Amino acid sequence: MAGSILPEHLELIAGYVLGNLDAEEYQAFEQLLATDPTIAAEVDQMQKAWEFSNGIEEIAPPTHLRNAILQPVPDQVAVNQAMSATPAPTPPLTERVKTQWFSWSRAIAATAAAIALAMSIENYRLRNALQAARPDGQAAALTYQLQGAKPGTAATALVIVNPEKLEAQLTTTNLPPLPPGKVYALWTVVKQDAPVTVDIKGAVLTATFTVDTSGKASQTFLVPPIYRSEEIVTNVAITVEDAAAPQKHIGSPIVITKS
Amino acid sequence: MQSEQSGNAEGDRPNQLTDSELFLALRAGQTSALGALYDRHAGLVYGLALKVLNNPQEAEDLTQDIFLNLIKASYAPQRGSLRTFLAVLTRSRAIDRVRSRNRAVDFLERARPGMNQEVAANSPFDQAAQAEQSQEVQAALAQLSNEQQQVLRMAYYDGLTQVEIADRLAVPLGTVKARARRGLIKLRQTLTDYVG
Repeated sequence: MAGSILPEHLELIAGYVLGNLDAEEYQAFEQLLATDPTIAAEVDQMQKAWEFSNGIEEIAPPTHLRNAILQPVPDQVAVNQAMSATPAPTPPLTERVKTQWFSWSRAIAATAAAIALAMSIENYRLRNALQAARPDGQAAALTYQLQGAKPGTAATALVIVNPEKLEAQLTTTNLPPLPPGKVYALWTVVKQDAPVTVDIKGAVLTATFTVDTSGKASQTFLVPPIYRSEEIVTNVAITVEDAAAPQKHIGSPIVITKS
Repeated sequence: MQSEQSGNAEGDRPNQLTDSELFLALRAGQTSALGALYDRHAGLVYGLALKVLNNPQEAEDLTQDIFLNLIKASYAPQRGSLRTFLAVLTRSRAIDRVRSRNRAVDFLERARPGMNQEVAANSPFDQAAQAEQSQEVQAALAQLSNEQQQVLRMAYYDGLTQVEIADRLAVPLGTVKARARRGLIKLRQTLTDYVG
């Protein structure tokens, strides 16, 4: 209940729901979320209070809408091409349903993709539970050592990936703390023609993070299944990006794997 | 909402990833994360779209637009709650659509006075929307100071950023943030009966 949470923590939670946390506050909020199990529930309640006070009521859309949105999803390249223009008003839904979207095979593919995601999440949870009971040591970990892209950079990073769990551990040293509004982004650079969606620099945005005042970061995150085919990953790099739009990939690598 | 909403359109789907994790997964190429995000938040987006547009067909179109474009939305977890982002985005896009619809109507048929009641201009619409607030909400809002009500109203109904609000009110950014946060905390405590 709200009464048992510290006022300064309530402020962070309210700031999160309102979307007005600065970079430092967000880091503190993330840590709070990770260490205090009561916080997540309070975030939900705060969110509900915000929605309720703004007169926001959920209404379930008609069931056909879900298919219309998710059916094209398995073919991400086509979706990306379609969305590469700025968002424009779409033609009436009934037309699209009749001429383009309705397809049982797409519905089945979308379901398969959803089940695959569900199963990989479930596997992730099961493996975590198993790991608690017996020591690790089954999947060969992939290690990526990142060094300064320019001479004289003292920063380093280490990414250790468990390809079975698709989980990675990142540790960094000497990465400069960033001003508000900026964030570090970890990128996975892949071979050309790799079976994954990449941006114009051939990279996949894999994680974003901030560092503490001593330049250290240490966190775990999920990685895409490309890490199971080790030869596809050519580089791992860290850049500085706008926190609001890290995917724009405007930064150059601060640290990168030497290939 | 962050971790508990279940989507059951196609059977059991463990939805224990946070919104941020799902969003980053979507960005990183795991397109099946979109389904989980849809199951959690389509009701929010559609409900808001329907309320503003007052037309189920248009509300469906806008909902579809928002989810199909979600992968390239200017959202990052550091910005805060995905739901808040979606609510503000949906409302803003819906109002834009009402305005274009009204301009088209005005152009094609000279509008009779009072015909375009949904969105005449910014403030009359918002005042009308606020007048629809339930008694519970009005009573809860009355517990807040005028300044707290004001910044919350400007942030949501006027769609202003904290920086813009600070500018208009000629107060420091920190003051705006503190007022909004304390106002929301007060609302959350007052609305415990409805919120839990």
